[in-house]
Amino acid sequence: MSKPDWTQAFRLEATELLETLEGALLDLCERPDDRDLVDSAFRALHTIKGSGAMFGFERVAAFTHEFETAFDKVRKGEISPTRELITVALSAKDYIRSLIESPDGTDAIIGDAILDDLRKFVAPAEPHEASAVPPPSAPPVAAAAAAESGAAAVGWRLHLEFESHILRNGSNPLNFLDDLSKLGPCFAVALTDEIPLLDALDPEECYLKWDVTLHSDCSREVIDDIFMFVIDEMVLSVTPLAQSELPAADQHPTTAPDVNVSTAPAATAPSRSPASHSPPSISSPSEPRRDEQKRGDDRATATVRVQARRLDEMMDRVGELVIAQARLSQLAATSSDPSVKLIAEEIERLAGSLRDTTMGARMVPIGSVFGRFRRLVHDLSLELSKPVDLVTSGEDTELDKTMIECLADPLVHLIRNAIDHGIEATAARVAAGKTEKGRIELHAVHSGAQVLVTVRDNGAGLNTARIRAKAEEQGLIAPGAELPDADIHQFMFHPGFSTAQTISALSGRGVGMDVVKRTIETMRGSIDLSTRPGEGTTVTLRLPLTLAIIEGLLIRVGEARYIIPLSAVEECVELTAEDQRARGRHFLNIRGDLVPYLMLRDILQSTVSPDTYQKTIIVSTGETRVGLVADQIIGNHQTVIKSLSKLHSDVTIFSGATILGDGTAALILDVAQLVGLAQAHADKHHLNEAA
Amino acid sequence: MTGQAEHASADHARILQVVMIGLGDEKFALDAAIVREIIDPVPVTKVAGAKPFVPSIINVRGNIVPLADLRLRFGMPLTDASADTRIVVIEIPIDDEPVLVGLIADKVYEVTEISHADTQQTPRVGVNWKPEFIRFITKWRDEFVIVPNMERILH
Repeated sequence: MSKPDWTQAFRLEATELLETLEGALLDLCERPDDRDLVDSAFRALHTIKGSGAMFGFERVAAFTHEFETAFDKVRKGEISPTRELITVALSAKDYIRSLIESPDGTDAIIGDAILDDLRKFVAPAEPHEASAVPPPSAPPVAAAAAAESGAAAVGWRLHLEFESHILRNGSNPLNFLDDLSKLGPCFAVALTDEIPLLDALDPEECYLKWDVTLHSDCSREVIDDIFMFVIDEMVLSVTPLAQSELPAADQHPTTAPDVNVSTAPAATAPSRSPASHSPPSISSPSEPRRDEQKRGDDRATATVRVQARRLDEMMDRVGELVIAQARLSQLAATSSDPSVKLIAEEIERLAGSLRDTTMGARMVPIGSVFGRFRRLVHDLSLELSKPVDLVTSGEDTELDKTMIECLADPLVHLIRNAIDHGIEATAARVAAGKTEKGRIELHAVHSGAQVLVTVRDNGAGLNTARIRAKAEEQGLIAPGAELPDADIHQFMFHPGFSTAQTISALSGRGVGMDVVKRTIETMRGSIDLSTRPGEGTTVTLRLPLTLAIIEGLLIRVGEARYIIPLSAVEECVELTAEDQRARGRHFLNIRGDLVPYLMLRDILQSTVSPDTYQKTIIVSTGETRVGLVADQIIGNHQTVIKSLSKLHSDVTIFSGATILGDGTAALILDVAQLVGLAQAHADKHHLNEAA
Repeated sequence: MTGQAEHASADHARILQVVMIGLGDEKFALDAAIVREIIDPVPVTKVAGAKPFVPSIINVRGNIVPLADLRLRFGMPLTDASADTRIVVIEIPIDDEPVLVGLIADKVYEVTEISHADTQQTPRVGVNWKPEFIRFITKWRDEFVIVPNMERILH
């Protein structure tokens, strides 16, 4: 995934907003006096502008700003939304859409023309706005775009023929095509007619040739530079691309007739012909543009809302398929029939990609939740007169959809708390020598098998004394009892606990933090809290990556096999005799670091005597590393996570179970729980030593 | 479907379809409506730290199903699996959600009908069973049969 996902998130959001806008505009045609419609259109515009600027779509923001300014008159009731005005507004909306979908392939001149039209409607200088202007702007725009196309129609037509031994010299023709595409919009057609039959095919020979249309104002030298090192081993013909140029077939007679049918029209008929029937924006001669235009038309089907339940069902089916496939593979491995093996491999490949696709469909970048909080922070900071900046990072961290949904409410609570209680009033901040503006950071990151979501404020920090006083008042602790600060802070999560002196609409009712804690715990996550007086508070949510299928490491302890999520595994080492001799210590020396380890056979109550050579799997959660000692490391395993039934809900060291290739069930170790266990062991050890 | 059964009215001798299974020396009648299937023994996977009467899990057609051993709940000695051993898969509600549970049976006899009319109110002397585990005890072919309350047993 090369593009950051928040761009995609914005596109999705904008798509919905544009639909709202369009709907409102269309309804306005019918009911020009409906204020609500005007307002809803205006809101949509405003949001597009705001998030456009936020996500770096400057042109969208700039254009929408102009659009908004013009439309503001309608909102203020200075002009009425005539049908003509709405038509122009709709074309403006379409223009925004194309700006968002193909920022590079959209001509600013079209936008200017639309804006001119809009201004004509709203400019006070025009007394008879509605009638004075000819309806929609297609003709001028078309003309403008056509003029533009003349200027932009600079480029090169290349024909590349490499000598067949080129691959043996280590050159990859595709790299040259990549280089070409960096010069500008580039359209390459591979000529496949010289590829021999499979029997005669030498995999080290290059049989392909390419026709490339490059739209770029680069000089011939730049192109020659690309092929500098292979020019002796190839035939390169470069001809300038002119508007009047004849179809490629005339220049390279072999080209057009020989390429396969589906690519031929695209290769030989680039949109050079201005006579093409398409709307104005297509008349600029750029191949990618055409594609994007097409994509734009397909936009309605580009995203589909699917009920989450169906995705769940699909995931279940895929899980069953993966299990069935594992059994098939195991059978095929013992079979001597090559065709069975072939089918098993094919199904393995298909099941794997189906699994990835299905999981991908369930993954949502957390940025989609973060986005909502900009508004929340903005509103709260106004309401409380505390200027606050929200800084987010790690938006592209992906989480399962259900996790994301569960996460929204706890984060709202945490952010409210941070602004209401954490960030001080402006005067207090200035007095403390801090910046006037408070700052809230929202950060998400993958860490091993977990996702860490951090909410950090640079406010006053927790008032430990006050929490303590409150806890004593509520009888949660005995007055004067010795407690570490961290334990005192935990009372924040106690139901009905609030230290806020005044109850505001936002927080202070004492509900919230306990709800946060409960929600996170139902997701099998945990909350870390750290605070420094005067510097702020950091709340870290640790969430497991509860995906339906994970990569696992299959191990054996005694006679039973277990799965460790591979994402938590750092390395595997052999437990040396020396380590075992020092067993009482329960620490491993991993390149100078002391790592506590657990004998899985003790925890898993294995009754079989251990193997001679014990293996240690070093796992980590966050910063903590722990060694797990097993009898054997079997290997990677595609693990379909099945949850344990309610009858086993009291077992915490397993996060679920899966079904192995031979049909037996295997338990999945919950690394976070085991790490906690190991740490408890280690702490006890330290205490014993200290005593 | 459990509650009303105890108060079967005499005039209406209600008939209960059951699956008759043998555990140790006793016979248990499982309400046929909750029985999903009866399978041959499969490899079990021990769950460390689980409650003693649900010590393991099994794979039933791709589902991970807990395997319960009623013998532990009724204080019976455990015996090794024999040629007659079967696993009865039942579906019962736990916390309002249907849950599949496998039950080890030393022997599965047949699907039959029992009548509330034969209900024996008094548990047999000398048996140390928790009364809430038993819906009622009835007679079938002159033998005492226990109709267990599965939801209570597995809770």
